[in-house]
Amino acid sequence: MSAIFKRDLRAYFKSPLGYVYLAAFILVLNIYFYIMNVYSGSCDLQNIFSFIVTMCVFLIPILTMRTFSEDYKQKTDQLLLTAPVRLSGIVLGKFFAALVVFLIGVCITLVYVVIVATWGTLEFATVLGNYVAICATAMAFISIGVFISSLTQNQLVAAVVTVAVFLGLYLLDYSYSLMNATWAKNLIYYFSMFRRYNDFTQGIFSFADLIFYLSVAGVFVFLTVRMLERKRWS
Amino acid sequence: MIEVSGLTKTYGNKRGITDITFSIDEGEIVGFLGPNGAGKSTTMNVITGYLSATAGAARVAGIDILENPLEAKKHIGYLPQDPPLYLDMTVNEYLDFIYDIKGVKGGMKERKEHIDKVCEMVGISQVRERVINNLSGGYKQRCGLAQALVGDPDVLILDEPTVGLDPKQIIEIRNVIKDLGKNRTIILSTHILQEVSAVCERVLVINNGRLVADDTPTHLSAMLTGDHKLEYRIAGPKDKIIACIRSVDGVKSVTPTVEAEPGAYEYLVESAEHIDARKLIFQSLARAGYPVLLLKNQDLSLEDVFIRLTADKKSPAKGAK
Repeated sequence: MSAIFKRDLRAYFKSPLGYVYLAAFILVLNIYFYIMNVYSGSCDLQNIFSFIVTMCVFLIPILTMRTFSEDYKQKTDQLLLTAPVRLSGIVLGKFFAALVVFLIGVCITLVYVVIVATWGTLEFATVLGNYVAICATAMAFISIGVFISSLTQNQLVAAVVTVAVFLGLYLLDYSYSLMNATWAKNLIYYFSMFRRYNDFTQGIFSFADLIFYLSVAGVFVFLTVRMLERKRWS
Repeated sequence: MIEVSGLTKTYGNKRGITDITFSIDEGEIVGFLGPNGAGKSTTMNVITGYLSATAGAARVAGIDILENPLEAKKHIGYLPQDPPLYLDMTVNEYLDFIYDIKGVKGGMKERKEHIDKVCEMVGISQVRERVINNLSGGYKQRCGLAQALVGDPDVLILDEPTVGLDPKQIIEIRNVIKDLGKNRTIILSTHILQEVSAVCERVLVINNGRLVADDTPTHLSAMLTGDHKLEYRIAGPKDKIIACIRSVDGVKSVTPTVEAEPGAYEYLVESAEHIDARKLIFQSLARAGYPVLLLKNQDLSLEDVFIRLTADKKSPAKGAK
């Protein structure tokens, strides 16, 4: 697993992909921080985190589109699948490589934390909770992206489908406020990836939601493993 | 070392391979011969665990590839038809990665020595710092071979290892394979007859997903270049020459083909099998005063071989275990 993790992580920075991704992520986040915090003189960093979760819709697909598609295309999947490595090791290696690139981007927010702590008042516990939560949320999104990438050998198709799925989830969240019936609200909340994050931004560390994100990640990592297995039998 | 029994693989309702059974002893170099699409790659992909068989089993070093894939795969070095290269890596980085992924044990010193040795063997030492994407096809193929050799596996499975190489490189790589075969079990696939004769001790011929022969290359090439089908070019009147050759004992048929030179026709002469009629034909023609300008064995194409093999042997492949 560690060999695949290392290779995939390096691969992000062998092509412009990793740099372009990080540049876009940091640029947008900086603008957001300037407007929401610096310009409006706010110490509230929670907005940043919920903004990152929204950005996942477009950013995570860029990270995950190539995970398996590229291997299928270059036929290197043949190398991975005939090497003495477990399928779960292959999937997890790629999964964590994408997660680490995402977290490198998130690290920029540490600068904001320092700025706010120096010139304002920082709710340290809330921020810490948000870091844990953003990590779990990213794991859920990345696992879905990795799974979709394992379905096609075309990176572009993988990216477009992943964005579509994430947008669908976003709209599902959006429809929450339009619903009147409690059961419908509950049902939507059950599948919600975005609204669920609100608790964290309000400083509530919800274990149930944390477990939800980690379970989604677990399920899709498992499905990806099954997908690789299935390819052998087709 | 490799045992394959009743291997069948279907893709949807299309048959890839059907009921392939053979076994290969330690240290053998076995050629897998067949036209494109015969099922060579499918068989190899099943043995290496990339695909799962619909029926039957494959064992490598006594370990079933489905029951204990991790252990079985440790014994195998596999070069698929398209070398599985990460084009964005340098040769060094790539081989390092292979070393890791194969879980080869050893410290930094062993690693360096081992990779140096492998690079030396396949002749890529001078391109190790270069990005694989910028290498020529021949070097890419060699990188693929190097990848298979990392970790010193006792079984090498090479799917068309000399495709895309120039004639000089082909000879080099064949020699490398022969060297490797001294203490390893090797299966290599090819659709080139000469390759099998040059490298292998045993040939498995596969056609339409079925094993049609299991033989030695010597026997196979004897069959291919048998003396009973000859092409002659003889100067002189066609009818008289035909009559003259027909009069020789053992000649079954004489067929004129084309007028290759002014006044000289080519003839296809078929004699009864296992009879060498060349001397008698020569003497007969010489007596009659018709000079032989050219004489050669008729080359059989791979297709002809398969037709012959499948027609001759209604029974299961000879020597198949």
